[in-house]
Amino acid sequence: MALVAALRRLSHASLGFYSWRAAAATPTFGAWITGQRSFTVGSQPLRSDKVTVHFINRDGDKITVKGSPGESLLDVVINEDLDIDGFGACEGTLACSTCHLIFEDDVFKKLGRITDEEMDMLDLAYGLTDTSRLGCQVCLSKSLDGLVAKVPESVADARQSQDG
Amino acid sequence: MSVMNKLTTTCWTNFYGDRRNKQMLFVLRCLHKSATSGTFGVAREEPLPERLITSTDATKKRLPKTLAEMPGPGTISNLFEFFWRDGFSRIHEIQIEHSKMYGKIFKSRFGPQLVVSVADRDLVAEVLRAEGVAPQRANMESWHEYRDMRRRSTGLISAEGEDWLRMRSVLRQLIMRPRDVAVFSDDVSEVVDDLIKRIVCLRSQSSDGTTICNINDLFFKYAMEGIAAILYECRLGCLSQKIPQETEDYIDALHLMFSSFKTTMYAGAIPKWLRPVFPKPWEEFCDSWDGLFRFSCVHVDKRLKQIESQLQRGEKVTGGLLTYMLVAKEMSVEEIYANVTEMLLAGVDTTSFTLSWASYLLARHPDVQQQIHAEVMRVLGSEKVATAEDVQHLPFIRGLVKETLRLFPVLPGNGRITQDDMVLGGYFIPKGTQLALCHYSTSLDDENFPSSLEFRPDRWIRKHSSDRLDNFGSIPFGYGIRSCIGKRIAELEMHLALIRIIQKFHVCVSPLTTDVKAKTHGLLCPGAPINLQFIDREI
Ligand code: HEM
Ligand code: FES
Repeated sequence: MALVAALRRLSHASLGFYSWRAAAATPTFGAWITGQRSFTVGSQPLRSDKVTVHFINRDGDKITVKGSPGESLLDVVINEDLDIDGFGACEGTLACSTCHLIFEDDVFKKLGRITDEEMDMLDLAYGLTDTSRLGCQVCLSKSLDGLVAKVPESVADARQSQDG
Repeated sequence: MSVMNKLTTTCWTNFYGDRRNKQMLFVLRCLHKSATSGTFGVAREEPLPERLITSTDATKKRLPKTLAEMPGPGTISNLFEFFWRDGFSRIHEIQIEHSKMYGKIFKSRFGPQLVVSVADRDLVAEVLRAEGVAPQRANMESWHEYRDMRRRSTGLISAEGEDWLRMRSVLRQLIMRPRDVAVFSDDVSEVVDDLIKRIVCLRSQSSDGTTICNINDLFFKYAMEGIAAILYECRLGCLSQKIPQETEDYIDALHLMFSSFKTTMYAGAIPKWLRPVFPKPWEEFCDSWDGLFRFSCVHVDKRLKQIESQLQRGEKVTGGLLTYMLVAKEMSVEEIYANVTEMLLAGVDTTSFTLSWASYLLARHPDVQQQIHAEVMRVLGSEKVATAEDVQHLPFIRGLVKETLRLFPVLPGNGRITQDDMVLGGYFIPKGTQLALCHYSTSLDDENFPSSLEFRPDRWIRKHSSDRLDNFGSIPFGYGIRSCIGKRIAELEMHLALIRIIQKFHVCVSPLTTDVKAKTHGLLCPGAPINLQFIDREI
């Protein structure tokens, strides 16, 4: 126990590697390790260069918000405190597919590479379409300004509409 | 609300800072929104509550049926099946037999415990998609009892509710994203170097110079060494050419502990009042846990001491997962002990059995092995050491692991305790019911996977990126927020090992091995030793 206490006494400030988290848009543990091994630090996103994003929520409402390049659509939902039920349950760690979003054809083509791991999780998404992606894997860039992302209906919605 | 306040304070003091804090509140908001908290009793076969009968149901006379109406084996025949005919080791086969007899959803009784089995891909999807914010797998009372007795914390496997959610939120930010796990690529690769050397050494000791008997022994050591390299940031030496006797003894003891642990898992199923009559299972259960905890504490403490002295010398502290957890202090040291212990428990046998099955399947299907070898040669050649990055260009390797886990899902079934009343497959399932998700049945169902008994890794290969594979039938790591936290670590360990084995050797079944069947011993494991020949590839 003495050991633990001793460690606790030492303030965080004496540790050299805290800075990367503040710097990167989506800080990750991987970046921390690579950062300390290769001494590279993520670059500060330019806050002025905002990208406009329109979400169409399940009820058909359009919500327009702004995000920074480099941020994922899940980051935007969290930062803007958007109330989309059950969205992003695994916090962007590719375990849930609740961040499923549907895009227009032309936007979909501009969204960047899709990894195998994302495809696997996407296969498990409810209401999958040909232009579906996982919101936590789609990162904003200036060229995506004005994109529209539709939140698919949830399992619960489907059941309700079947019933009534 | 006090829990919420406590959590918010923890968040402020940790250095994830503002964003993380928001994320936590976001999750907490959901937690409080949903009706997940509460106590879970043993489900009773009650009549249907009015509120779940919707008006259309009533007019169409499609009332959900009650649990009493659900088919299933009788209590006596079930007891006979399991205790007399050793059903426990054939639990995976019984799953299939019962689903053929009683349908996609059926009930069984184990003493006072009612279990509703779900053996249909779409129903499994329905259950997992409807999950709340802190799903519960099974009753973990015996685990909790041990922790309370020894004043130890729970870890991810055993924790529930808000404790679970808090630890899960920390750990998933560290080891769930593929790109975070990719940083362990070099560490794992070094362990693979040792595995290959060990294969060469072991086969040279055999009479024909090529055979390794009981390959799982070797993969057990590989998985142990691999997970230790990541969790403890140190090497144990399980794969050394010349293992010191004491390390060897240690590995043997650990081996025994893992295997006796599985048997003693049933200790939890024996009611507490029977303990004075049958004290042994509970004692063994506690002994096993003591051993597991001791092992983890030694390694965590060692690193903690190193960090402390580095800090005292004013040096910058660098390291991997354990260092990060110890320094970031998002979890207490007790919580770190518990989580590392549970991850070790969950990460060794699972990975080694899967590697054993994968090599066995390769050996039994030389044509498939040839195809995979061709892919590896095309992408890497015979010498280039693969990294995590390379795996995306090796779809056949990924397919091999997926197909292995489809045919031999290490966890043939999984559990969920329902946290709300629900209607499933036309039946009303009250809150607090233990569900058994029958993954073994769904992954060997011809409807989900045509010619399901055939080993065909190529069924997992996409022709193009918009090619969709409906794979809810085979989810060997589970799905959703309570799914396996070690999935990406396990995949990395398995992919890198298999790639290198395929680069170096032609794997064949030894004449000593015939058809090896699976048996359930806690996990789905090889029912007989798998003996393989490793023959050098001509370069
Ligand atoms: C082939 C390898 C593996 C397989 C097939 C596997 C499978 C699973 C499954 C099916 C679950 C239950 C998920 C659910 O209830 O939805 C699980 C949970 C878990 N696994 Fe794994 N696992 C493997 C390797 C690992 C490794 C290497 C680790 C260690 C890092 C690990 C750590 C865990 C933990 C801690 C849990 C409990 C998670 C929680 O309740 O939050 N597993 N695993
Ligand atoms: S948030 Fe879970 S996969 Fe995107």
